[in-house]
Amino acid sequence: MVFVNKFARWTFFTAIILYVLIPMLAVLVYSFSTRWTSNILPDGYTLSHWGDSFRDERLRAALWRTLWMAGAVLIFDILLVVPAVYWQRVRNPRIRIFTELLAAIPFALPFIVIAFGILRIVGTSAPTVLFEIADVLPGFLGDRLVSIGNWLPTMLGTPWIILFGHAAIAFPFLYWAVDGSMAAANIGRLNEAAQMCGATPIQILRLVVLPNIGAGLAAGGMLVFATSFGEFALVQILAGARFENISLYSLDLLNNTTSQVEKLAVLTIVTFAILFAISIGVVYLNRGQGSRLLPGARAMGGEK
Amino acid sequence: MSGVSLNGISKHFGNVRALDDVSVEIASGELIALLGPSGCGKTTLLRSVAGLEQPTSGVIRIGGKDVSHEPPRKRPIGMVFQSYALFPNMTIRENVGFPLKVRKESSDKIRPKVEELLELVGLSSQADRYPHQVSGGQQQRGALARALAPSPEVLLLDEPLSALDALVRTRLRDEIRRIQQLVKITAIYVTHDQSEAMAIADRVAVMNHGKIEQIAEPPEIYEDPSTKFSAGFVGNRNAIELASTNGRVEFGGFVSCAAPSIGSQRVVLFFRPEDVEFMEDGSGHPAMVENKLFLGSLSRVYLLLESGGASVRLYADISSRQALRLQIGQIVNVKLQTEHARVFPVDAQ
Amino acid sequence: MAKAVPTPTGAGITEEKLSSSRFRLGRWVREGLAAWLPALPLLIVAGAFLLLPTIQIVYQSVHNSELGWTLQFWKDTFQSNGGRKSILTSIRLGLISATIALFIGAPLAWLISRMLTAKRSVWLALMNVSANFGGIGLAFSYVAALGTYGMVTLAFKDIGINFTPPQVGTLASLILAYSYSNVPLFVLLTLPAMSILRTDWMEAAEVAAASRFQFWRYVGLPILAPFFIAGWLLIFTWSLGIYGLAYALGANASAAGQLRLITLYIGLFLNTSAGREERAAVMAALLLGMAAVSLILYRLILRWALRWFS
Repeated sequence: MVFVNKFARWTFFTAIILYVLIPMLAVLVYSFSTRWTSNILPDGYTLSHWGDSFRDERLRAALWRTLWMAGAVLIFDILLVVPAVYWQRVRNPRIRIFTELLAAIPFALPFIVIAFGILRIVGTSAPTVLFEIADVLPGFLGDRLVSIGNWLPTMLGTPWIILFGHAAIAFPFLYWAVDGSMAAANIGRLNEAAQMCGATPIQILRLVVLPNIGAGLAAGGMLVFATSFGEFALVQILAGARFENISLYSLDLLNNTTSQVEKLAVLTIVTFAILFAISIGVVYLNRGQGSRLLPGARAMGGEK
Repeated sequence: MSGVSLNGISKHFGNVRALDDVSVEIASGELIALLGPSGCGKTTLLRSVAGLEQPTSGVIRIGGKDVSHEPPRKRPIGMVFQSYALFPNMTIRENVGFPLKVRKESSDKIRPKVEELLELVGLSSQADRYPHQVSGGQQQRGALARALAPSPEVLLLDEPLSALDALVRTRLRDEIRRIQQLVKITAIYVTHDQSEAMAIADRVAVMNHGKIEQIAEPPEIYEDPSTKFSAGFVGNRNAIELASTNGRVEFGGFVSCAAPSIGSQRVVLFFRPEDVEFMEDGSGHPAMVENKLFLGSLSRVYLLLESGGASVRLYADISSRQALRLQIGQIVNVKLQTEHARVFPVDAQ
Repeated sequence: MAKAVPTPTGAGITEEKLSSSRFRLGRWVREGLAAWLPALPLLIVAGAFLLLPTIQIVYQSVHNSELGWTLQFWKDTFQSNGGRKSILTSIRLGLISATIALFIGAPLAWLISRMLTAKRSVWLALMNVSANFGGIGLAFSYVAALGTYGMVTLAFKDIGINFTPPQVGTLASLILAYSYSNVPLFVLLTLPAMSILRTDWMEAAEVAAASRFQFWRYVGLPILAPFFIAGWLLIFTWSLGIYGLAYALGANASAAGQLRLITLYIGLFLNTSAGREERAAVMAALLLGMAAVSLILYRLILRWALRWFS
């Protein structure tokens, strides 16, 4: 039962589908065109742009970098988030206060602001604080702190800072998905049952928890992957040209001479295709339900 | 005058026949219960009368008028749902008045009518609360009042008591019957609980696999089930499988009665636990007491009988005073009163 | 004299030791650690890379080495033309984007929630991909479709319709581009709440002779509206913080002084070593404050939305 007039529904849907697909269509056609300045369809077609793009070292490098970084961020986030959520459900509910506070930050602050903050902390503030503490402490400890203080700013520009930064800003997606998944699987009860059977926490995590939260893990994980994949602000501010991922490269292409723009078209299509595959994956693993994205999403009537 | 007439109602979902050529005449002011297990079609039939489902074929008449193709809005019905379905954003009072409000009646007319209904169902004091602030039983009373508000010709109830606690259930069940008889409204009552159906209905229609197996007054359904399904579903019966020979069903000295047909076949013998007699004079058949369950004034005794290499297990209901004298493992003599026993071939429907 | 008492672990624990406060402290530390240990990695990483930067920014907006603690930067930013314009334009952009997302997203969310699994999955995938597709790629798609030589622009010309889509860099172009991912995001955010409207309410209304309009007016909208408002609020806040897309579409216009947004302002002060980082910090702190207010409001609205549900 939908309670809306059928004709209105159909026009509405068609309009939406057109709106979503036309820009992609335009880019797709663009990537195959030679010259396109006057008519609805290009003057000529060619596969050369696709060929050029995949022969382009720089493009391949950017794509590869983006992919493995996203994968690393995903694994890192799983290792960080799953034990924390498990523990807060079965042992210490007070952890939740902190995790949910931290999870709200990437939503509250745009990534560029967070990037800015990290830049200052790693580059200036933390070292400064460390140096000041080092002054007050005895020689051996003081030296250690000074060397840490000297090392910190060198982290800027390396992939490591991107790894940690992305892991931090993307973790809320995985957090909400895994939390919801554990709730749905009634992890509390399963945990008690497993304890009665004599299992240790590590065994429980491996044999009981992980298999039962698979869908949430995959759905949230894919969002983490997508976030890192398309992320722009942190990479620009914290690494700049030293870690050129897809977004940075795309921006370069956009601002450069026109002959490179076709590569941007190819790249955009590839990005879109990857995201589309991820979205299908997310939906499939959620069995047609929406994923929980936000605090209070539980309260949005979703829980039965 | 406001009876319901169902003629040849069928509903297919692809290959599945949810309803299979169902016909029944319901008299004005009668409360008929549709009784059966999940999936038997009782709810589909009710919703077809409501207009929430469209049967593939058949004619539905209410008060003589053909409503088969009318939307629910245009049918003179009121409906009570299993989940109460009270609108959460309105008070009970507003809920009850809702059918009148959407018919654009003036508030002067609505107010007294609503008061009258609230008193009828006993909710006058709770009327200004919201559904989530009152109990399940009270919500259901509110739903009943709302269903009766537009003075419908037929009241439809879809398992109205399933979501309630046992104690509330019996009380509300009797209330519903009292109100239905007071207002003299035709009612169709869907339930899977046979004691509920038997307690309040004028007639009971036992349904299975989309068909009505038997329609009769409750005592008749209970004493005289006409199909194997009825016999097994309604009332509390033992069912044991035996082989008939030459048109008779026998098991040692326990039972001897006629089979449905001459010759030999496998049959199911249905009999009530209260018809198992304990013989003091040595007649009947030896049985070992396996277990005893205390059920109040009655006790249920589980017995094991053996004859000619075959063994059967059954239970008998006797007074608890009698049961106290029995020991587990003791051998007693039992015999079946065959007056109310029923025999059906094993592969009967 | 205390005797050593053999324990199952074999270690001798004297009665004195059992009652010593140091032992109790050690035990307390150990238990505390056990209660928090598995969560520590996450808390440390997120704390270091989210919480500390946040504190850093707020700190920088009110303190620097020359002036110490001061509100000067805030005054400067609000008094500067660029600063004020940025705030106003960003808010305006946010309001319009959120409202568009509401009017298109709300009916869409409802319709999708009522679909059967197969069709629903397709639409959800569509929503997911367009919600996550932002930044540079989206900016480029805008140019490819609606730019001066874009496919749609040329199509209109071909057919003879005299209509040019908004130029890249104008507020209108941003609104259009923002909507591309805002509408699906709105749908994804409000979709779980749609299931709060139960089918049997609609059936009860039908049986009670209500028309569709009457159902929506008396039951449907009163129940769903707060969730939609919450969604609006989230999209508004989210729009304020969009950077990549705004940068790709608007960097040129911004440099020319024609388009000012809070996030572009921040980006400007970070990328050029103009040395006025404090201004960027002020804007960032402003965004933080608005987001904090918005989150609190969001929780309140949700609680209000659920007042009829126990």
